[in-house]
Amino acid sequence: MATTKKVLQYKEPEKHYDVVIVGGGLHGLATAYYLAKYHGVKRIAVLERRYIGSGGSGRNTEMVRSNKRAHETLPFYKDSLAMWDDLSAELDWNLMVQKKGIIALAHSDGELASMRMQSDSQRRAGIKIDMLDNQQIKKMVPSLDVSDQTALPVLGAQFHPEGGTVHHDAAVWGFAKSAARCGVDICVGIEVVGFNVEGSKVTGVQTNIGDINANKVHVAVGGYSSEIARMLGVKFPVVTMPMQVMTTNIMAPFLNYYVASPRLHWYTQQTLKGDLILGGQLDPFSSWNSYTTWEECSERVATILEYFPDLAHGRVVRSWSGLCDCTGDSAPVMGPSGIDGLSLDIAWGYYGFKATPACGKYSAEYIATNKVPENIKAFSLDRFFNRQRVREVIL
Amino acid sequence: MAFLIDCPNCGRRNPYEFRFGGECKEAPGPDADLNTWCEYLYFNENMSGFQQEWWYHNMGCGDWVKVRRNTVTHEITED
Ligand SMILES: Cc1cc2nc3c(=O)[nH]c(=O)nc-3n(C[C@H](O)[C@H](O)[C@H](O)COP(=O)(O)OP(=O)(O)OC[C@H]3O[C@@H](n4cnc5c(N)ncnc54)[C@H](O)[C@@H]3O)c2cc1C
Ligand SMILES: [Zn+2]
Repeated sequence: MATTKKVLQYKEPEKHYDVVIVGGGLHGLATAYYLAKYHGVKRIAVLERRYIGSGGSGRNTEMVRSNKRAHETLPFYKDSLAMWDDLSAELDWNLMVQKKGIIALAHSDGELASMRMQSDSQRRAGIKIDMLDNQQIKKMVPSLDVSDQTALPVLGAQFHPEGGTVHHDAAVWGFAKSAARCGVDICVGIEVVGFNVEGSKVTGVQTNIGDINANKVHVAVGGYSSEIARMLGVKFPVVTMPMQVMTTNIMAPFLNYYVASPRLHWYTQQTLKGDLILGGQLDPFSSWNSYTTWEECSERVATILEYFPDLAHGRVVRSWSGLCDCTGDSAPVMGPSGIDGLSLDIAWGYYGFKATPACGKYSAEYIATNKVPENIKAFSLDRFFNRQRVREVIL
Repeated sequence: MAFLIDCPNCGRRNPYEFRFGGECKEAPGPDADLNTWCEYLYFNENMSGFQQEWWYHNMGCGDWVKVRRNTVTHEITED
């Protein structure tokens, strides 16, 4: 049945809000939703300079998982992964959550040992994880070459059964629609160009259409975080790097799992539609330009073909990239900024999509209560001065 | 790639011959405190626009080269 009700009505911003959120990506939209729905905050605006989901939120490869290593971060990722399960019902919007399982291949004894160590800390945190031998891998992914004939033969894998995918555009619209129905003003075409700070407290933002006052301001601008830092006269511990990904033509279903090779920097999944998503590694130098290159495309395709030789008939039909603000310890920055009333949810690099529900929930809790929730304490900006950087392994 | 890096030894070369070394920073002096060192190590200007940066020509002459590059347009200029 066709619906005549508009999914979402954008608003012109008013002059004063309780909370202004800078950035209409998933983190900003989710934070607005949780603030309105669970903390009863009435006057909230999300300010987006382009269109909602135009940043990483609409560009990512949709992988959701909780198999990180640093123990202090695991409860956060575990919570986020579990939250996706109920969100389609809660938001009344099909997010196409598909927990198909993620297989991460090892090509050396060192990698196998590292994966076993990670698996142990994940199990301790209550995350389901298994190690697979080549026979088991072959059974699950018959098209994968696990023989000793490849450039770097597969020696085993880590299997994360609860990992999988969520449709990123559906998530953007689900959170945006639900936030708007809770009374949040979602304003597009509004660019924040500065902040008003009195003493040590933020009092509002400056935008392309004038000042907007706010009791609290929350920054969730994805890869653009250093532009916010410049407006505030500070620096953030990030470098902005693009990440490129691709899709192929549509094929008959043959791949039921997300398969990744952390060592060779490739991962692939077959979507419900039938095309393969191919990724991905950060580009080797910093850039604020979402270009795509032959160098990245050819390297990714060559490394994936080495393990999926039957794909030789496939074609890359589309590629795109997005900006990732990366810290040196593969963990984000969340919570206090050093300025009263101004909170951060930045530095999510290439791993922030999976974190959306928990970022929304805990950012909202911090903004509403002024108390940093236990699960995001490890992500404080202070950690870079207190020798408490997160001991994450890159995966 | 849409830009070339001018190496004083090898001429204009493909950036993929180089290893990116990040933005140029002023190292703290010998008396600097720990916080200053932490800031130097971990925090970046991370400019969207022109910045001075280091590139290492590892597939060429093996020298470190300073380049002024616009990180949005990839335009490279002399100072
Ligand atoms: C190619 C690629 C693949 C990825 N794959 C995965 C994956 O498989 N799994 C995973 O977990 N993560 C992945 N990520 C990372 C993930 O996409 C991001 O971490 C996540 O989307 C961040 O969401 P966000 O809402 O914080 O930022 P964004 O979605 O980037 O939103 C920020 C918004 O802020 C707006 N903005 C910026 N500056 C201003 C301003 N001054 N005023 C107003 N608005 C402003 C931007 O226009 C943008 O819409 C990937 C990223 C990329 C690029
Ligand atoms: Zn040279």
